[in-house]
Amino acid sequence: MLGPVSEPVLLPGGASKEAWAVDADGEPLLVRRAGGGVIHRHTLSLRHEFEVLRAAHEAGVKVPRPVAYIEDLDGREAFVMERLEGETIGRRIVRMAVPERLPVQMAEELAKIHALPPERLPFLEEATVDRLVDELDEIGELHPAIELGLWWLREHRPLPREPVVVHGDFRIGNLVVDENGLVGVLDWEFAHLDDPARDLSFGLVRAWRFGVDRLRLGGIGDVEPYLDRYNELTGFEVRPEELDYWELAGNVAWAIGCLTQARRHLTGQDRSVELAILGRLGAEVEFEICHLLEGQGVT
Amino acid sequence: MSERPTPEELAEAIEEFLAGEILPTLDDPRLRFRTLVALNALGIVKRELGRLPPEDDAEQRELAARIRSGDVPAGTLDRVKADVEARLRIASPEYVERHRDDE
Repeated sequence: MLGPVSEPVLLPGGASKEAWAVDADGEPLLVRRAGGGVIHRHTLSLRHEFEVLRAAHEAGVKVPRPVAYIEDLDGREAFVMERLEGETIGRRIVRMAVPERLPVQMAEELAKIHALPPERLPFLEEATVDRLVDELDEIGELHPAIELGLWWLREHRPLPREPVVVHGDFRIGNLVVDENGLVGVLDWEFAHLDDPARDLSFGLVRAWRFGVDRLRLGGIGDVEPYLDRYNELTGFEVRPEELDYWELAGNVAWAIGCLTQARRHLTGQDRSVELAILGRLGAEVEFEICHLLEGQGVT
Repeated sequence: MSERPTPEELAEAIEEFLAGEILPTLDDPRLRFRTLVALNALGIVKRELGRLPPEDDAEQRELAARIRSGDVPAGTLDRVKADVEARLRIASPEYVERHRDDE
């Protein structure tokens, strides 16, 4: 049985899920509860997200300790996990004095995640780049820059790698960081099966550098030590060109993501200025897609 | 180029935010009054924008379809990038400069 439980406090942020801080018997906990909408139709249910968190925790990945899944918490599903101490806001992390080994620590966690046994998580689906085309078509807007990105991705596919369990949103904004570096990996709702190089590259997307653009790995470090350590641990021998490919794919995915978010406002599912403006700020990501294509020699 | 949200839709989003989230928190009668006046002004902007004819997107439609079919002659990127940059100069002008400084 739990001891004395404090009054839950709703934390800010969390576009599609609520996060409540609560202390039980003096232990800091976090309750993640379903909100109104889903960001994305490929988002895991909280039940499945909890299963992924458990598998990651058992495998020694740095994650909040999963405590309990609750099927019905005042009408919605939820789960309880440890509340880790540290910074989680990307914009602040890139301005903190983070240890130089943070990129290496990120590589180490990713190597453990990619070694999770898929049979332990049979509900995970495989994702492909082609799915992005369907997502764009569903939005139904005209975005030639995104089309051009998709075209290049179709024309230059690297040799496919055996799909592994991936986090699906592995970037600075989804980590807990303190002065000793990586404390935990959060937000597992996009976990799926995919090319490991894709997961390895998502954190390179310029939008996730939070203004510290010269540091390609999430505004906190260089890519080389990260890639080297990852290859050393996994033996996957991911090549820098694969990172370039998947960085572009990550930008295309996020450009579409911006439009999808704006749709939530436009369709009335979730009215909010914050979501609405993403429909326009997606142009930043499209500009970056053009920049990366130029780097590939496209004219 | 028919961008979403349209200017009218953006004005509407701000209107909803001010009326729905800010106004109810204001106790100072002066601020309440001025916010109501601001909402009136915003309503004028919104209705004015609503009268603008929809932009012709035939060219963008054709370009998007051509790229989808794999017809990407040299110069396509330059054209697309110029268009994105023009949109960015409206949506986020400082981003273009920051990106450029970085190269």
